[in-house]
Amino acid sequence: MPSIVLTHVTKQWGKFIGVNDLNLEIEDGAFVTLLGSSGCGKTTTLRMIAGLETPTRGEIRFDDKIMFSSDKNINIPPARREVGFLFQNYALWPHMTVTQNIAFGLETLKWKKPDITARVKEMLDIMRIGPFADRYPAELSGGQQQRVAIARTLAPKPRVLFMDEPLSNLDAKLRGEMRTELKRLHKDTGSTFVYVTHDQLEAMTLSTRICMMNEGVLQQYAPPLEVYNRPANLFVADFVGNPSMNLIDATAKQTAPDEAEISFLGQRAVFRGNEPFRLPADSAVLGIRPEFLPITPDGGLEGQAYSTLPAGMETTVKIKLGGAILSAVVFGAIDYETDAAIRFSVAGDGILLFDRASGQRVASGSVLLPARKG
Amino acid sequence: MQANVLIVLFAVLLVILTVYPMYSVIRSSLTVGRMEAMRYNTLYHTKLSADDFTLLNYRELLTNVSTFWKPLWNSLRMSAYASLIAIVLGGTVAFLITRTDIRAKKFFSSVFIFPYIMPSWTLALVWKNVFANSRVGTGVVGMLESLTGICVPSWVVYGIFPCALVMGIHYAPFAYILIGGTLRNMDANLEEAATILQAGRGRILRRITIPIVMPALFSTVLLVFSSTMASYAVPVFVGSPGNFFVLSTQLTSLYNTMATKGQAFVMTIVLILFGVMLLGINLWFTGKRKSFTTVTGKSGQVSYIRLGRANTVISAVLAVLLFLIAIFPIISFALESMVEVQGNYATLTLKYWLSREDIGGFAVNAGKGILFNGMIWSALWGSIKLSLIVSLIVGTGGILIGYAVARKRGTRLAGLVSGLAFFPYLVPSMAFGAIFLAVSTRLTFLRGTLLLLVIVGSIKYLPFASRSGTNSMMQLSGEIEEAAVIVGASWPKRMLRILFPIQKSSFISGYLLPFISCMRELSLFILLTTSGTLITTLLSYFDEKAVTQMSNGINLLIVIIVLLVNFTTNKLTGASIDKGVGGN
Repeated sequence: MPSIVLTHVTKQWGKFIGVNDLNLEIEDGAFVTLLGSSGCGKTTTLRMIAGLETPTRGEIRFDDKIMFSSDKNINIPPARREVGFLFQNYALWPHMTVTQNIAFGLETLKWKKPDITARVKEMLDIMRIGPFADRYPAELSGGQQQRVAIARTLAPKPRVLFMDEPLSNLDAKLRGEMRTELKRLHKDTGSTFVYVTHDQLEAMTLSTRICMMNEGVLQQYAPPLEVYNRPANLFVADFVGNPSMNLIDATAKQTAPDEAEISFLGQRAVFRGNEPFRLPADSAVLGIRPEFLPITPDGGLEGQAYSTLPAGMETTVKIKLGGAILSAVVFGAIDYETDAAIRFSVAGDGILLFDRASGQRVASGSVLLPARKG
Repeated sequence: MQANVLIVLFAVLLVILTVYPMYSVIRSSLTVGRMEAMRYNTLYHTKLSADDFTLLNYRELLTNVSTFWKPLWNSLRMSAYASLIAIVLGGTVAFLITRTDIRAKKFFSSVFIFPYIMPSWTLALVWKNVFANSRVGTGVVGMLESLTGICVPSWVVYGIFPCALVMGIHYAPFAYILIGGTLRNMDANLEEAATILQAGRGRILRRITIPIVMPALFSTVLLVFSSTMASYAVPVFVGSPGNFFVLSTQLTSLYNTMATKGQAFVMTIVLILFGVMLLGINLWFTGKRKSFTTVTGKSGQVSYIRLGRANTVISAVLAVLLFLIAIFPIISFALESMVEVQGNYATLTLKYWLSREDIGGFAVNAGKGILFNGMIWSALWGSIKLSLIVSLIVGTGGILIGYAVARKRGTRLAGLVSGLAFFPYLVPSMAFGAIFLAVSTRLTFLRGTLLLLVIVGSIKYLPFASRSGTNSMMQLSGEIEEAAVIVGASWPKRMLRILFPIQKSSFISGYLLPFISCMRELSLFILLTTSGTLITTLLSYFDEKAVTQMSNGINLLIVIIVLLVNFTTNKLTGASIDKGVGGN
């Protein structure tokens, strides 16, 4: 089973740099998500690994086998990389039935007739599309087409499976179901999955590792919870999480190796790091996840309810404080009168401090508000 | 609201314009004229008089091997070969341009359209200019013989070989536009998916690409086959002199003889039936369960097949081929219009262009040199006038039909209108002319008028305009217009200020194609008018009378005008012929 290693991979179209000096190691059996907004180079990266796109520079290896190297002038064609690829629009062949679509790859590999029949039957069963075996793609719904596409991709038992936003054409409910099944499929097949998406929730819930990209540059490559809890920089912090993290401009003055005095939105407080840190400059950004702003009657901060968005299971409360609007999340359904006074505090040791100039995370820790007067 | 009015209006208009002519031609095939009655009466001892009902026209024609069955067989063979040549040539070029890294794509792509823009007989004339020799036919010496002394055998100069080849080359651009359009629109992921599944180039081509472009191949065959069946000029130029007769040439000669007019209408019906049959096959084929609608998604750049070392060779071969079929004809016409003695390039003269005196030396009075020849100028003006009017009517009609059909899509009336608008496509030009001749013998006020030509031209060219109009209207969502309705814009304002500007280039293409087709049309009009009315009929007249300098010169004029109009429109508005026939 291969691990996939990319070293200094760059893709350039004229002056435009699609992917810039990307280094990445995808372990065997991992479920890696390439996450980013459209045009960030994630699809290009995937296509380069699959061999559908040729990098301008760099090297791509599957284990020790070089698939592409600009220095050594090696470029193994996609057909010989023995991978599976699931396209965003499924790319089912309109002139072939479901069975013919699934069997195509096996025929190409010169499998024996009975083996093909058996494998197609097996795939039809796994993907629960048996009743549609003789239909043409145009006669299937989006979700069914999706299943056929997966069946076709998995039939030759690829060791690596690439997926390019495979769920983006489905409706919300179906998307949820397919997510569950993909995760299951990953366990059952034991293959390596590389998955492209712009949906941070999909990345969070499915992957073993997230590769966060922006404008062709790798931002962070870490397990989902680490990306969520300890985002490397402001971009990642802002991109991951819904509702997104409150990013508040602050000034900070270091008072001890693990302590700083901060002021933000007209408040003064002490930031205590979980470990020692060093602030490069005074101007900083405070990052607080909505769930770390609990609404309590004895909270140290007072703001006004700007608007309340109850979703049933939880409620997002938008609180106006010192000219900014903060998001807080409360379990259960509450509805506040517009402009009603709300007291809340900053809780936990998952509060982040970023350097404003570089956008890099400097520390994580807790915020201690001064004791409430009167 | 406007869409409702339009759809009803067009439904009524199209029913009248297709049903009445059909009735008229069927009626004419079942009745006899005075001369025919006399002939039948002596032959079969019948007692027919003019306008009597009889089946004798059918019996006469369908039992005659030399005027019907043999020409029919010739027509079918010629059309089959021409379709094959067009598909192979056009399809190969389409594949090279859309799927490989061949050089100078833009140049090849625009020059390859030339043979289609030029009149179909253009290449036939060139063929004659080059290969005619002293041992064949009238013994005129062609370019090849005069330069090298080689005399090619008769079957090369006249007969099915040059007919099929010329028609095939003329329609190859059409195959290129249709097949190339499909290839370009085809989701690259479809081929990539097969690549990933380890299929080789050949297997992908055979199992994925070709099946998916099959419908385009089929419509090309349908079109080329029925157009070739109907073509008149080419078989007249390079067929008839070698005693190679086809249905369209027979139709004309039957028609021109008073005593066989009725049979000409029988033959018209046969030609229409062939058209309907071909459409039926096409519908049956595309109506099968497989849907070929290509889901367009995010398809990355197609990875071009690298031709490698072969690139230069293939590019060069293509360049030579294009020179022969697109550039050389123009040179050839210029040369042939400037030689005193055909084939003798020592006798170059500008007399046929510049003479202010009458040019003597022919069986007919050719008049003055081309640039000062009143007959030519008035015929040219006649053609331009006709083409302008027809293109205005057809282009506008196409847009309005497109609008009405797109807004009322799914309704029965919309189906009827788009079906009827397509009908003239099935009727060969020659037969179309004959039908309206039958009409004009009843509605005598139409006979020989410009109005008749305008009506015929407008109906004949409606299919393409309505197809491109419908395509571009379908691409516009109703919401775009509704947004204008909300702010209270009137219907004309919505059409002129919103819809037209958005699809400008494809609408203008809808005007361009009928103009060009009309400028170079011969077979549609030849039955309906006298030789001096249109530049094409005049050309045919000069050719018939062997005034080759004049016919070549006129041909050069037509080619230059048509190319000029095409390129200026293309440069100014982005409209192009390929958009007019539904390519991209």
